[in-house]
Amino acid sequence: MGQTFAQKILARKAGLEEVEPGQIVTVQPDKLLTHDNTAAIAKIFREIGVERVARPEINVIVLDHVVPAATEGHATNHQQIRRFVEEQGITNFYDVGEGICHQVLPEKGHALPGYLIVGSDSHTPTHGAFGAFAAGIGRTEAASVMATGEIWLMVPHSFRVVVKGGLPKGVYSKDIVLHIIGDLGADGADYRSVEFAGPVVEEMSIASRMVLCNMAAEMGAKAGVVEPDEKTRSWLTGRTSADFQEVLADPDAAYERVIEYDVTELAPQVAQPHTVDNVVPITEVAGTRIDQAFIGTCTNGRLEDFRVAARILRGRRIAPNTRLLILPASREVLLDALAEGIIADLVTAGAVVLNPGCGPCLGAHQGVMAPGEVTLSTANRNFKGRMGCKEAEIYLASPAAVAASALTGEIADPREFL
Amino acid sequence: MSGKTIIEKILSEHSGEDARAGDRVWADLDLAVVRDFGGPNVVLEYEKQLGDKPVWDPQKIAMTFDYQAPAKVVLVANNQRACRQFAVKHGVPHVFDVNAGVGQHVLLEHGMVLPGSLIIGTDSHMNLLGAVGSFSTGMGTTDVAAGWATGRLWFRVPETIKITFKGEYDHPASAKDLTLFLLSKIDTSKTIYKSLEFYGQPVDSLSLAGRLTLASMVTEMEGKIGFITPNQSILDWIGGRAGRNVEAVLPDQDASYWDEWEFDVSGLEPLIACPDRPDNVKPVREVAGTSVDEVFIGSCTNGRFEDLKVAAEVLQGMGGKVAPHVRLVVTPATTEVAMEAVEAGLYETFIKAGAMVTNQGCSLCTIGHHGVLAEGDVLVSTGNRNFRGKLGKGSQAYLAGPAVAAATAVKGEISLPE
Amino acid sequence: MSKEFVFRGRAWVVGDDIDTDMIYHGSYLPLTDPKEMAKHALEYLPGMEDFTEKVQPGDILVAGKNFGCGSSREHAVITLQYNDVAAVIAESFSRIFYRNAVNLGYPILEVPGITAEVETGDELEIDANTGHILNVTKGIEVHGISLSGLEKEIMTAGGLFGYLKAEFQAEE
Repeated sequence: MGQTFAQKILARKAGLEEVEPGQIVTVQPDKLLTHDNTAAIAKIFREIGVERVARPEINVIVLDHVVPAATEGHATNHQQIRRFVEEQGITNFYDVGEGICHQVLPEKGHALPGYLIVGSDSHTPTHGAFGAFAAGIGRTEAASVMATGEIWLMVPHSFRVVVKGGLPKGVYSKDIVLHIIGDLGADGADYRSVEFAGPVVEEMSIASRMVLCNMAAEMGAKAGVVEPDEKTRSWLTGRTSADFQEVLADPDAAYERVIEYDVTELAPQVAQPHTVDNVVPITEVAGTRIDQAFIGTCTNGRLEDFRVAARILRGRRIAPNTRLLILPASREVLLDALAEGIIADLVTAGAVVLNPGCGPCLGAHQGVMAPGEVTLSTANRNFKGRMGCKEAEIYLASPAAVAASALTGEIADPREFL
Repeated sequence: MSGKTIIEKILSEHSGEDARAGDRVWADLDLAVVRDFGGPNVVLEYEKQLGDKPVWDPQKIAMTFDYQAPAKVVLVANNQRACRQFAVKHGVPHVFDVNAGVGQHVLLEHGMVLPGSLIIGTDSHMNLLGAVGSFSTGMGTTDVAAGWATGRLWFRVPETIKITFKGEYDHPASAKDLTLFLLSKIDTSKTIYKSLEFYGQPVDSLSLAGRLTLASMVTEMEGKIGFITPNQSILDWIGGRAGRNVEAVLPDQDASYWDEWEFDVSGLEPLIACPDRPDNVKPVREVAGTSVDEVFIGSCTNGRFEDLKVAAEVLQGMGGKVAPHVRLVVTPATTEVAMEAVEAGLYETFIKAGAMVTNQGCSLCTIGHHGVLAEGDVLVSTGNRNFRGKLGKGSQAYLAGPAVAAATAVKGEISLPE
Repeated sequence: MSKEFVFRGRAWVVGDDIDTDMIYHGSYLPLTDPKEMAKHALEYLPGMEDFTEKVQPGDILVAGKNFGCGSSREHAVITLQYNDVAAVIAESFSRIFYRNAVNLGYPILEVPGITAEVETGDELEIDANTGHILNVTKGIEVHGISLSGLEKEIMTAGGLFGYLKAEFQAEE
């Protein structure tokens, strides 16, 4: 019987022939990703009593949550992390301004096919887009990986999600994954490895694949993955000199569930307050007034996202009572957007262009709302208070939908603007 | 009786009286401005004192959201909203929201600041508009609320000190160094509450950006206002923005000055204000080598295109990379400046160098937005205040011009530009 | 003015050039409730971080030169007012702070040389009408510059709005 992607990669990492779902294995991750929480993790690490990080070369630390520091507390936190990095000789350290950890990690060549990546952030599954097994872990576990260089993992069951059909104009990977989450529910893929496959997925850019894997966390998945192919290899060219070996699911692998979606008739989707699986077609909420529109984050903060936004906004002004926040996911994305004239178009349209980082997504810094206000966002979470105000509302959608809505000041169907 | 100084002329014109130094007069306001800091307090005070009573003239009121753009906490989001709602209720058209930039600069760009005008605002650096001959002044909540109600306020007419510069100097010395030089030479017990009139070739040859720099630190000299007579080129620029011909207000030949001072700036070298006061000025070479953690290029003092351009040129000329341990934050003053900087490729220079370019506004200068420092951090800023702890408890700040700031960012220590 | 401008209280002495960030730090600017503002008085002034816990109603703040320099924030006056600091007397005031105090009807007095004659803890008697100050503890008399003219009228009326309302009523 064939093995799923999760089985194959965990077997290989554990030095075993094969493994079964539910089995516990001890493995050495290829990368450990941490961010602004590194200081807290380091604290636990020190409490374990170990002085030196076991394998400093696997640590990737990116300061992204509140950048540049917005309070003395954050500034002190960053300072502590820098000291820890120096003390431990960690070279893969990306200071404030580089970008969001889930964008920086692959850009700098740390997310490779066949890799096992763990991160102290729930959106670590993003890196499954590169054919890696990427999973989020808690702070204590992260501290233990720092101390020992290894981790135990339970082999997850796997779903295979096959996406086919003709993707309509104005409908994107974000809409597809929102639709899937709406269908399966927020815990529908609880602790599963979700393999995204099918012709529509194969057609997707790397950026769009990242959207799928990033949002896999919102259906409870432990990991999400897209099989690496020529597109993956091409994207990675020049980013790494490390050796890697692709791991592919066997064609006769046994899945707990195989689910097919035909997207030919799919409309743009919106996740309504206050859960990600509260998904409806955009037509059902079109006309809802918005105070703020936000395009960015590790979910949708890439060049292709800003390209479509700029296409819609070029030569126009956003609605007078709506604020538009633009947050490139990394310095690289920002530079590319600048080179293409996208930033100029967005600023002219009235957008506020923020420096790369997590910004508004988690309510610690930029773009916090007043009670009763509404934001339409390209992020991955819309829980009550997520953006810093418990009495405000967050709807989630694709960059095209958010751009169109910024123009009208109400939730708008992007298909009418393309 | 002798002739009048500039301030005497402006206050006479606006009060209908023969206003002389030492008098108290009630003068009519041309514009009463609030920011998102101070603004909500004014709105509350106005409504507490006057309820629904219409403001004296909605066309002469403006709001500029630059203190925390976009909002970082619910409190500020609420404050901004309260201001917007007041504007709608009272028919105030001039609301420059979180995407506009530093208030005084925005008003200037929109042709709302004329030579000889009387403008009040909830910011102590309103008086930088003296750079174009406007009597603009920072005021507290009560004054502005009363101003909104009646359109007039009481003023004590300041005495005037005539300050004449002579001598020539070269890049890398700049308007900021001339300003710091002046700060170091004057006795603030003499300049307190004075109107300062600046003359001489070194001032006449300053561009608008340079004049804004000099005028912006009159508050740090304890002065009420600092006037620089606009030349024809600047008058034409203002006229273009305002849509009408404008003239400078000149003092009478026989105006009576409290004192007259002369300063020779021949061979002016780059200067730096050391912790903890803006007048603790030394030559850069005396403190060169001091290690820094953060550098800020921006503010109402040095946030114009010219300032960013100088910084970018120095950065590039010195290798184009920020020192690894330094955080460089660059903030354009307004949308217009941001666009110019984007189009001139300055954003690319800064970002490739490893800097963070944030959205237009007051940025670092008003603590609590971003770029906050940790204990022990050292900042070099192109702003105008460096009082102890202002930007983070236990931190220290130096003030310098953009060229010195850029050089410092490259070297990681206080440095002269090469 | 009236007997409202006669005070007796315990002195707190601070130095020169106390700027508005030390009196009321910029990070608290978004607050609009005076009682909230009161919690942060002098928080960033080294040595006075616990001022709000120790201050007693009726206490008097005594400062050196240029008190209140920096920002035009009225919060700096309000935070002292709402801690029931009865008055501020200083060698000299920054004009923006001075003006804000007048507009809020908050008693201030300029007294050159005062810091040489007072120590923290001394009991002071102040008559802001005349500018007369008695350091009861040390038995020293000092004279300050009492308000006059328009400032005096505004202060006596309880602040700018009090003054303006009286004007409106006078006109009717």
